[in-house]
Amino acid sequence: MCKRQGLSGLRAGRRAVIVRACADILRRRSRVAMPSSRRPTRLAIGVDTGGTFTDIVFADGRGRGRLKVLSTPGDPARAVLDGFAQLFGERRPDLFTYGTTVATNAMLERRGARTVLLTTEGFEDVLEIGRQARPDLYDLEPHRAEPLVPASRRVGVRERVLFDGSVGRALTAAEVRSVVARVRALGAESVAVCLLHATANPDHERRLGRALAPLGIPVTLSHEVSPTVGEYERTSTAVANAYVQPKVAGHIRALAAQSGAKRLRVMQSSGGAIGSETAAREPVRTMLSGPAGGVAAAAAVAVRAGLRRIVTVDMGGTSTDVAFVDGEAPRRADTAIGGFALRVPCLDIHTVGAGGGSIAEVDEGGALRVGPKSAGADPGPACYGRGLDATVTDANVVLGRLPAAHFLGGSMHLDVERSRKALEPLRAAMRVRRVEDAAEGIVRVVEGNMERAIRTITVQRGQDPRSAVLFPFGGAAGLHACGLAEEMGFPEILVPRSPGLLSAIGVLDGRVAIDRLVPLSCIDPSWKWLAAQAAAAARGIRTEVMREGFASSAVRVSTFVRARYLRQSIELEVPLEEDFRARFDDAHRALFHSADPARALEVVGLRVSGSGEQPPPRGKPLAVRTNRRVEPSNTMPVVFGGRATPTAIVDREMLPVGAEVRGPAVLTEYSSTTVVAPGWKARVDVDHNLRLVPA
Amino acid sequence: MNRAATPKNVPRLSAVDLELFANRLTGVAEEMGVVLQSASMSPNIKERRDFSCALFDAAGDMVAHAAHIPVHLGSTPLAVRAALDAMELQRGDVAILNDPYAGGTHLPDVTLVAPVFTARGKKPFAYVADRAHHADIGGGKPGSMALATDIHQEGLRLPPVLLMRGGQWVRETLTLFLANTRVPDERRGDLEAQVAALRAGAARTLDLVSRFGERAVADAMRELQDYSERLVLARIGRFPGGTHTAEDLLDDDGAGGRDIPLRVSIRRRGRTLEFDFRRSGEQVRGPLNANLAITTSAVFYAIACVSGRDVPPNGGMMRPVRILTKPGSVVDCTFPSPVAGGNVETSQRLVDVVMKALARALPGLVPAASGGTMNNLALGGRDAIRARPFSYYETIGVGCGAGPRGDGGSAMQTHMTNTWNTPVEVLEAYYPMRVHRYGVRRGSGGSGAHRGGDGIVRDIEVLVECDVTLLAERRRRGAWGLAGGGDGKPGADEVIDAQGRRRRIDAKSSLTLAAGERIVVATPGGGGWGKAARTAKASAGHSPSKKGPRRAPARS
Repeated sequence: MCKRQGLSGLRAGRRAVIVRACADILRRRSRVAMPSSRRPTRLAIGVDTGGTFTDIVFADGRGRGRLKVLSTPGDPARAVLDGFAQLFGERRPDLFTYGTTVATNAMLERRGARTVLLTTEGFEDVLEIGRQARPDLYDLEPHRAEPLVPASRRVGVRERVLFDGSVGRALTAAEVRSVVARVRALGAESVAVCLLHATANPDHERRLGRALAPLGIPVTLSHEVSPTVGEYERTSTAVANAYVQPKVAGHIRALAAQSGAKRLRVMQSSGGAIGSETAAREPVRTMLSGPAGGVAAAAAVAVRAGLRRIVTVDMGGTSTDVAFVDGEAPRRADTAIGGFALRVPCLDIHTVGAGGGSIAEVDEGGALRVGPKSAGADPGPACYGRGLDATVTDANVVLGRLPAAHFLGGSMHLDVERSRKALEPLRAAMRVRRVEDAAEGIVRVVEGNMERAIRTITVQRGQDPRSAVLFPFGGAAGLHACGLAEEMGFPEILVPRSPGLLSAIGVLDGRVAIDRLVPLSCIDPSWKWLAAQAAAAARGIRTEVMREGFASSAVRVSTFVRARYLRQSIELEVPLEEDFRARFDDAHRALFHSADPARALEVVGLRVSGSGEQPPPRGKPLAVRTNRRVEPSNTMPVVFGGRATPTAIVDREMLPVGAEVRGPAVLTEYSSTTVVAPGWKARVDVDHNLRLVPA
Repeated sequence: MNRAATPKNVPRLSAVDLELFANRLTGVAEEMGVVLQSASMSPNIKERRDFSCALFDAAGDMVAHAAHIPVHLGSTPLAVRAALDAMELQRGDVAILNDPYAGGTHLPDVTLVAPVFTARGKKPFAYVADRAHHADIGGGKPGSMALATDIHQEGLRLPPVLLMRGGQWVRETLTLFLANTRVPDERRGDLEAQVAALRAGAARTLDLVSRFGERAVADAMRELQDYSERLVLARIGRFPGGTHTAEDLLDDDGAGGRDIPLRVSIRRRGRTLEFDFRRSGEQVRGPLNANLAITTSAVFYAIACVSGRDVPPNGGMMRPVRILTKPGSVVDCTFPSPVAGGNVETSQRLVDVVMKALARALPGLVPAASGGTMNNLALGGRDAIRARPFSYYETIGVGCGAGPRGDGGSAMQTHMTNTWNTPVEVLEAYYPMRVHRYGVRRGSGGSGAHRGGDGIVRDIEVLVECDVTLLAERRRRGAWGLAGGGDGKPGADEVIDAQGRRRRIDAKSSLTLAAGERIVVATPGGGGWGKAARTAKASAGHSPSKKGPRRAPARS
């Protein structure tokens, strides 16, 4: 039932290393009936491209399957397409939903396009100054992130729109020509345009956009990508979009063409999917694409397991994403990634540059630093056989926690000696005796980084991790779950099935959802007038959702009012109904302990949200052989607390429901590895989740 | 503050609980901040975030604060103390104060204090307080930052009085307050936001009490202060012996006095670190006087910086610290000296002089001086376009001093402030002004192996006739370099009239601009750090240190 293919046929000359092509296509079984309404031939695929691995899951009416391949950062489409070829041969997917961290990684690792920023003259430095505040109050030497566009490529445009949309200084045709010439001379690969008050009057941005079109490079207009007031946040969002766009758009278009998918959608940071063309135009909406899919899937698993409060830790090759889920994943209107403000709707996910591929080095001050630089997939950790950077993965290999022979079900060999060799210079710089000591230091530091991220979303928001369950997923989080739980007092750990594929599963199950903001500025408007303002955007969104293959009747459009008391600060969002004013007062009272129904209400905009209603692609859960006895494949020494301890290496996929494993043990499986530390025990629950508690 | 460390100061909470309670109690203050900002009305509070929130124990000692504005945080404890000394706060009461001679710092900073009662408590279980900078509090000029020679010219003085009694507004207080400001509507909205924040803080504190019990929370509040005290004590133990002295000068007081000396001698006496400012200059005629609260907050800030990030800043942190001043001096002024700039300018120079002394004691840790001014700009008048009075206040960032770790950051708020800017798009929508330039002042940072950060240039045109107050420093002497680094460029200010003619203006100016005139403020750069290595080679104008520090001396 499980077709395995080794690496042998796929070596030389390929940038993509397919490490394993294993399609666990489930045969019919009586326990899980196939939904009879589905056409058995419909093939739906969910893909999550990370910095290191590309995960593929699919449902075709008969069942589900999976594949994990090494990412190909130079051309991320290769990994996906090779994976498809392995899995489906010539068969074309009907629906391909895609979650990608290509955008995020390009930004965090600063490998985006050579971008030129056009601003109103005199405001070229807004991007650099930000909000003028320093990130850390008591830091003796405070620094902000270096802007994605340096001063030399920020061009001031002679024009000026005023706050009310009137034109203070016209944009002349001559100025447009001269700006276009400068953009060309600067060798731009992408352009961001953010002019003052563009949301009040976008005419100048649009004219520059049209004039730049003949250059044949992507142009991001700030009023389109983030129609909100506040020049820094809008500039930063537009710049991030422009910076990653060529990379993301090229990637998505190549995938659309080469995969032959009838329909390609991309997961957004907000947890809903959009059409590929929208995503290619506005990749900033996908910055937390894969992570959003993972959190959505984790929330679903937790509900089934009867858990309400979980802390998700999604550790991949490049970064770790953490979220606190209390029944559902919280949303926010803006976020910051790597110190860059992004004002687009997203799930509340906190990202740190700590992953399996994070590179460890000793800094000039003699401190061991891990990340945010990552070895990615190419060259990858030293043990992958190409690079010589010492990474977190190498540390785990040296400690025996990532059994070299069992990586990806044994299909990819890890070179232990190479890991040791990579860690040797660190050992010397750290002045410790054994390479194992250096390795444990790396693990401690990376877990410290993860802990800080978890504290940001729990303790700092008044939530006690000790009342939540730690939910590790992604390829590497299971290696660090016990360490984190011990440090932070999580009473329990839940490791889902196929933890390394959870984001892809969430992406596969994701629904279509599109949001658009309509900027307004009016005081005490009637709801009828507001509804009229929303009408055009609602029609546009309806069309956009229908283009994704939904009948008009299956499209749901709802409108929200974004308002505040006149001249107040942050706006609240309430549904646009006849009684929206009363709802606003109620919402204000709930949040701020006060309300004043007599006070003038200032409406700053509408959010129109459309979604396509569809049953999620079904199919049985991923294959698990439940009827075999537990056979520890062997016992190997694993280092815990400086001591090599005899440790059982167990194939998780062999564990039946109800099976219990006492630590120390290492549970290997196709997509991930779970370390059961000494003093912990793991039990398999009815959904095949691993539940870890102190023994 | 000077309660000695008792031998009983041994940890009772587990390390995890300590950390958790530190975050929970800080969470109370942080949530207050979120509420205050969200519900406030003036751009100065909602956009610039010129406010602070903190939680105090039943004795009135500070337990936790949210990371807001340092000059507020170190001085708010004295405001709470003054309120508690003046009155016995009952359930539902809120005290208001701003008097620098009764718990305040300068008049625009208005502090509200409220007790937190448990359901059956007879005495307050804790206190919450918030301080916000109101863009106008009366006085000679809009913005209440006038170049006064007497506190009465600076605006309305509020010694601690009741703003709410038993949950109801005290109409008399509110009416009196609003009658004395130029923009009463905005003031009222901001005050309501401050009250909402206190309610949120009280509610969150009571949440903790219901989850963990009164006893546990009270213990944790004390433990947290003891913990900070222990950490600071441990670090004081490593502080080198001897007396470490430094001097720095304020340019002038805006009323004729120049080169006002600030002097500090830092020495360790057993388990106490002593900051002796008694050799500083006499109080001055102009509004550059700092009261003891401000001097305390500057020391608090410096201790928080050099203690390392793991020390929770609270009342315990200051227990092993002793501050000596001479009443009637520029760092401990007496009634009725004007003080508007003490809070914003002298406080920055106080940090500079303390850091300079610390740099001598702990070489290789402290960076060169940062811009050393908040560049206060207040504009106000009648907005004929919107048919309403207006009062706008902002502070402008500077360059940071370079340090052993690398170049100084550019265009940032430093030391005693961390206010955000008002977005140009918001500014222009609310006020009759147009911004022409908001950019980095390239080349203004001091030279060195690590370059000082650059300042900012801000160019604002007024569209109606407008009263303008500028209150800024470091216009004659730049921020000092360290370890051989050069000084940063001093700031410079000018007015451009409607015909485009430029004229320099004093850094402490009070003027009336006609419609169409512009004020241009160029803020100082930070000092450089370390000798520039072979300047001839690095003459291309590039910073030689982009890649980080070279041959940095070891941190002590």
